[in-house]
Amino acid sequence: MSIEIKNLCHYYGKGSAFEKKALDEINLTIEKGDFVGLIGHTGSGKSTLVQHLNALIKPQSGNIIIDGEDINADKSRLKAIRTKVGLVFQYPEHQLFDMTVYKDVAFGPKNAGLSNEEVDERVKSSLEMVGIAPELHEKSPFELSGGQKRRVAIAGVLAMRPEILVLDEPAAGLDPRGRDEILGQVKRMHETLGITVILVSHSMEDIARLVNRILVINGGKIVLTGTPAEIFSKFDELEAIGLSSTQTAYIMRDLQSKGFTLPPNIFTVDEAVTAISKGICR
Amino acid sequence: MEIVVKTDEIVFEYAVQSDTEDKTDETPPNVALDGVSISISKGEFVAVLGHNGSGKSTLAKHINGLLLPKEGTVWVKGISTTEEEKTWEIRQSVGMVFQNPDNQIIATIVEEDVAFGPENLGIPPAEIRQRVDEALEAVGMTAFAGNPPHHLSGGQKQRVAIAGILAMRPDIIVMDESTAMLDPIGRREVMAVARRLNAEGITIILITHYMDEAAQADRIIVMNDGKVVMEGIPNEIFTKIDELKEIGLDVPQAAEIAHKLRLGGVDLPRGIVTGDQLVEALVNVNRN
Ligand SMILES: Nc1ncnc2c1ncn2[C@@H]1O[C@H](COP(=O)(O)OP(=O)(O)OP(=O)(O)O)[C@@H](O)[C@H]1O
Ligand SMILES: Nc1ncnc2c1ncn2[C@@H]1O[C@H](COP(=O)(O)OP(=O)(O)OP(=O)(O)O)[C@@H](O)[C@H]1O
Ligand SMILES: [Mg+2]
Ligand SMILES: [Mg+2]
Repeated sequence: MSIEIKNLCHYYGKGSAFEKKALDEINLTIEKGDFVGLIGHTGSGKSTLVQHLNALIKPQSGNIIIDGEDINADKSRLKAIRTKVGLVFQYPEHQLFDMTVYKDVAFGPKNAGLSNEEVDERVKSSLEMVGIAPELHEKSPFELSGGQKRRVAIAGVLAMRPEILVLDEPAAGLDPRGRDEILGQVKRMHETLGITVILVSHSMEDIARLVNRILVINGGKIVLTGTPAEIFSKFDELEAIGLSSTQTAYIMRDLQSKGFTLPPNIFTVDEAVTAISKGICR
Repeated sequence: MEIVVKTDEIVFEYAVQSDTEDKTDETPPNVALDGVSISISKGEFVAVLGHNGSGKSTLAKHINGLLLPKEGTVWVKGISTTEEEKTWEIRQSVGMVFQNPDNQIIATIVEEDVAFGPENLGIPPAEIRQRVDEALEAVGMTAFAGNPPHHLSGGQKQRVAIAGILAMRPDIIVMDESTAMLDPIGRREVMAVARRLNAEGITIILITHYMDEAAQADRIIVMNDGKVVMEGIPNEIFTKIDELKEIGLDVPQAAEIAHKLRLGGVDLPRGIVTGDQLVEALVNVNRN
């Protein structure tokens, strides 16, 4: 089964002088087990869209159907929906609230009725997955650096073991190793547990090496969908809507324009190294 | 060159919170800066790199006197930040753009928010008007001048925050991950704004986790666990790939491709950091 979004529209400040159509007739299907990248310029509607997926925002019109169930049809199902769909917010400060890092991550599993041992196991393993050392477990989450807060917020969602993981800019503010480790962790969870992942990101490099399908949103509308190869070869179309291809893709394009014979659709470092090694005369 | 920011062996510890009972004497002190000495010249464009929690933001807050060192001294244009009567002067010289724009936006209309700083400086209204317009133009937010900032997207707010600083016309701007939430074109624009301001003589200190942005700086300072561990021009720093990875960092994609090609026996010069440099070097390899 899958996530289906049907005719979804959303206005902010409806009827006021600042009325803003943030989502405009969104229709799409995300298959179970997909790893989807959602990209779009700042203000294009990404956060608004993903907050609909765990019913944090209710549709003003349209429907969100997950595994055949309209998630807004029955209020009593809300907790179950939020257990199934884990959302990591764009600003981790908005997700953290408890006195200590440990308690913050424990909140969800506890609330879900797990035993103390299970809660403890989940908290520790989730914090380990995001690289938060035991010394920090008793610290207040508000006394952490920006990237440390982000890691704790991600751990809180991982601890719920969601079937659908929605990450809104999870790597913003993470150092390169943290970014690689956490996104690598997500990729492994996707591969081994078969969870569905929706990744919102402004890093075209991360999107290119992780996802199997890309959704491009512009002005609240889905304007392109396709594989990374299909999307990242559209340099001009992407730039026209505030996006770009990957750093590597630009290098490959420049090399081609200088007469190098190289295969098409190379967007990541390792692919580029292999292709260039073959493409130069030695 | 005139030194505008200088720190001498500064040490800073955050107070350890005490609401958990099991805090004992063994609780390690929260040392965020551990003997940091840097000096930055007027008109420089310096990038600061370091893992999460390495002390970058703490250092930034020392540069405008928001935090005072426990040991050592911080001088801004020759004034020690501990001179209380000069705090205002220092805050005026050093504009800070923080990690999360939500914490910096105060007013209920974008242009009022941008005007807030200059108003506090006692600038005459006509000039404020001009500064606000220019600042919004510089970050591409003119169309939103009359909107409430809380209704903007993350990236849009970040640009407003930068405009608010620009309107104060500081001579040093510290950007603490100000591009973290921007889309690729937005990042390019903000970097272009930073470079243009720098060309006009403003000193820029850019804290970032984007290696390709650091590659555009005159000089890079690398922090690790509260200490400065490397300093140098981008072409030097980004050849130390293994050392950087060891401390949780990375290199721009062009430098990584060059490094891997070299390991595979391609005869490329050292110090390749940008895509243009890589393309040029590969063209030379093919010619020979
Ligand atoms: N609470 C709000 N009230 C009014 N307008 C809003 C609100 N939140 C967002 N908007 C507007 O809705 C549009 C979509 O915002 P959204 O946050 O979904 O964008 P985004 O794609 O996530 O952007 P970013 O990449 O900057 O995070 C933007 O134009 C924004 O200004
Ligand atoms: N308000 C605070 N109270 C207590 N400790 C703090 C506080 N802010 C930061 N720290 C600690 O001080 C150290 C340095 O934090 P700082 O915010 O300077 O790191 P940073 O290099 O800016 O990291 P990031 O890349 O994640 O933003 C970290 O170990 C952090 O946990
Ligand atoms: Mg967003
Ligand atoms: Mg920081």
